[in-house]
Amino acid sequence: MDTPPQVDPAEQFGVVVARRLGFGFWIAAAWIIIIVTAGALAPWLPIADPNETGVGGRMDGPGWSNWFGTDSNGRDMFARTIWGARVSLIVGFFSVLLGICVGGTLGMIAGYFRGIVDRIISFSVFVLLAYPGLVLALLIVGLAGQTLPIVAMTLGIVAIAPIARLSRATTLVYSEREFVASARVLGATNRRIMVRELLPNVLIPMGALTLLGMAITIVAEGGLAFLGLSVEEGFSWGKMIVLGSSPRTLREGPWVAMFPIGAMFVTVLALNFAGDRLREYFDVRELGIGVG
Amino acid sequence: MAGSGTVQLRDSDDIVLRVENLVMEFPAGLHQVVHAVSDVSFDVRRGETLGIVGESGCGKSTTARALVQLPMPTSGTVLLDPGDAGEVELTDLDGEDLRCVRPRIQMIFQDPISSLNPRRRVKDIVGEGLAIWRDEHPDVDVAARVDEVLGAVGLDPVVAGCRRPHEFSGGQCQRISIARALAIDPEILICDEPVSALDVSVQAQILNILEEMKERFGLTLVFISHDLSVVRNVSDRVVVMYLGKVCEIGDADTLFSEPSHPYTRVLLASAPEPSAVVDASESAIGDEIPSPIDPPSGCRFRTRCPRATEICASDEPVMREMGSDHFVACHFPGSP
Amino acid sequence: MPLLSVADLRVGFATQRGLLRAVDGVSFDLAEGQTLGIVGESGSGKSVTAKTLMNLLPSYARVDGSITFDGRDVRAMASEGERHFWGVEMTMVFQDPMTSLNPVKKVGEQIAESLRVHLKRSRKEARDEAVDLLQQVGIPEPKKRLTQYPHELSGGLRQRVVIAMSLACSPRLLIADEPTTALDVTVQKHILDLLDELREERGMAMILITHDLGVVKGRADKIMVMYAGRTMEQADTTTLFSEMHHPYTEALLETIPRIDMASHARLVPIPGSPPDAVDLGPGCPFAQRCRYCSEACIPDRPDLKQLGHGHACACHTPVGTGSGTAAHMANQNSGVTPAGLDMGMFSPVGEEA
Repeated sequence: MDTPPQVDPAEQFGVVVARRLGFGFWIAAAWIIIIVTAGALAPWLPIADPNETGVGGRMDGPGWSNWFGTDSNGRDMFARTIWGARVSLIVGFFSVLLGICVGGTLGMIAGYFRGIVDRIISFSVFVLLAYPGLVLALLIVGLAGQTLPIVAMTLGIVAIAPIARLSRATTLVYSEREFVASARVLGATNRRIMVRELLPNVLIPMGALTLLGMAITIVAEGGLAFLGLSVEEGFSWGKMIVLGSSPRTLREGPWVAMFPIGAMFVTVLALNFAGDRLREYFDVRELGIGVG
Repeated sequence: MAGSGTVQLRDSDDIVLRVENLVMEFPAGLHQVVHAVSDVSFDVRRGETLGIVGESGCGKSTTARALVQLPMPTSGTVLLDPGDAGEVELTDLDGEDLRCVRPRIQMIFQDPISSLNPRRRVKDIVGEGLAIWRDEHPDVDVAARVDEVLGAVGLDPVVAGCRRPHEFSGGQCQRISIARALAIDPEILICDEPVSALDVSVQAQILNILEEMKERFGLTLVFISHDLSVVRNVSDRVVVMYLGKVCEIGDADTLFSEPSHPYTRVLLASAPEPSAVVDASESAIGDEIPSPIDPPSGCRFRTRCPRATEICASDEPVMREMGSDHFVACHFPGSP
Repeated sequence: MPLLSVADLRVGFATQRGLLRAVDGVSFDLAEGQTLGIVGESGSGKSVTAKTLMNLLPSYARVDGSITFDGRDVRAMASEGERHFWGVEMTMVFQDPMTSLNPVKKVGEQIAESLRVHLKRSRKEARDEAVDLLQQVGIPEPKKRLTQYPHELSGGLRQRVVIAMSLACSPRLLIADEPTTALDVTVQKHILDLLDELREERGMAMILITHDLGVVKGRADKIMVMYAGRTMEQADTTTLFSEMHHPYTEALLETIPRIDMASHARLVPIPGSPPDAVDLGPGCPFAQRCRYCSEACIPDRPDLKQLGHGHACACHTPVGTGSGTAAHMANQNSGVTPAGLDMGMFSPVGEEA
């Protein structure tokens, strides 16, 4: 029976069990909202055409006329960073959406029915997991073409396996709970139990995962871009970083790569942080301070 | 201990539930089987409360779940209204047929928190059964029925209805569970340790509510508990189980005043305030409960029984009648 | 001089909604060789009291009051980081034996460890003493058990091992917090009897914490009944059962079914639920659930009054006194207590309106 060190009584007071999202969350959320709004409204914003060459000089540094400077073709990097957000966020959002719809459903079916159904789904998920995600993505994009829907779908397929695992694990936990047994005793059909009893409980960790997943896929899309497999038409942050990271460009105008890198970094950080806080926030109601 | 046999089954036309030779086995690792319930038979008369008592691992909760086919028993039969024209063999049904019979037997569980979906509002939880069967009974006023049963279990429907389970105490959650089970007007209510997770000051409230509900809604109760005094308080008839077998079964007052099985006597002597009908020294038995994976031969209680002889290891005792409505499975029954 | 003396102990936890008063002004003395039973429900503060004595509270707990063990200030020892007090002179047995046992270490090593750490025994000596201890707590084949892991033992044996561990350094005070709640009915009594025997042999003092008055009835010398962090009633065991004064003590006894009660005997419920420890209000914490509630109980919290012979009770209208009977009569006549409790639910069967 070890005895934990006693803390100074003055410090003991004032520690509270937090049940609020906190200031940091709102900053992260604000950034996400700004970047999503900017990306969505890009065509209507009073910014330069991202593909128009010669809006400034070639390789102009950041300044009043071009906030983020220009690239070697004299294109405005501020406008390009906002337009790049469009593709990155669309890829991030829709791939995770696909992953959750397919993976989440498969995981729930496996976790609820168990037995042979579970074994088949779990085995498929293992196969998918064992196959390196990047190689799989290379294969699909290489074969099907480098369009926006294909890139989003590819990353979505890669996301299915981990999401299915989380969904299955959560479903397994809640299936053991007696409210599920009660629903069966009342005569609820399997479908009703999955939709009414399990889904609301599985959705909460899933919701938080959406944000974390978006962060991961935005980075993954950057990875594809480095392999030259990002979208052919238009450009994402990843593609911008690739374009800006040739040794010569880095030497002459580091801002060309720096601003998309910064935008991606802050966005990924904000998504991770917000996702994590949301998960904690929804977990707390299951806890309680035990006194007895 | 205990034994097999069906002499304890009564031949009466108001039997509402009959369990015959129920066996529940679960796989445990490679080539091993947990014998959770082995050849258990009993019946319940309409309006009666049957108490099932025993220690952890005796199979009482497994038996309770087998009554609602969660999961289906390995073998044996569970009959509703046996001998009637409307006799239903639950163990024979599956899929949609089973689902349609389900409303007749409802169940409440030990853990009041785990029994309620944390993400749903109380009125949706209580009204769930009615919502499921709305197509079959379109004329039922769900809101009115929910209010009625919530009121019956002592909760204010206006205040409670819109809240979620985490806003309630354990005792109140158990009331909500009872209300949910009663909303679809079942005939039989199975209570699996309904007060074990509750504070002592709240237990009596729930026990009294169960008694009141039994009167008001004409219920038949099957009440499972490890606590002898609770079982005695609620039951008309009591089944004592040990390691998946029935030891003793009989009218509650008879069984508690003339306990015949050595195990029943041990239980009575082990209570914090032992019963006056047994000697306190009778609680002195070994602590080791054998594994249900490899239960002892013959009588399963013999490894801890003070009266055990060779015959207990070789022959399994069969249920025999000790008196009117009092049956015991022991080679050497009675007081020592 | 008593072995353990607790005076005006208060423990609070800061929560989002305010200060949770888990223990609120508890005092008691315990002499060498005596057993104190602390009875209460979850949230009554009985376990927090034990954890405070054992210095096991989380760092954000706010503790106030004095704890003296054999003339030494226990809370001062805690802040000085005294290592050889908890586990040596004062030890504790928890409800769930698995919380005190390390699942990946052999039973023998675990018992020997505290002997080697606290008493500087050699490996060989520690092993021999461990066998001895296992024998004392009634474990068959103690030598064989030394090499077993906790999961290989039954619940009853595990709790015996935990008891052996806590006895290793010959403590002078053993705190047992619901030591049998997690065990089977037929094993519970054996463990309680064992604790009793060991206490007598070794002349230890013991604090036995339970929710069941029946458990402490034949075992404790003194009983303290707690509710909402406060002491409701405190007395010698015989006095408590023969002339209990607190309505909560009486209600607890009446509400628990007893084996020798007839089937379907109507239980007297304690209405409502235990109060919210964050928002207790100024009055008696039991007032909302009490049959004897009077006008004075709602605005004014009763102090713990000494009634002589160590009997103390915190109630304005104690059971069995003139004021108690009068309050009960008044409530019965008006049909409702000053706290708004309907007296109808106490009426025996058949009288229900």
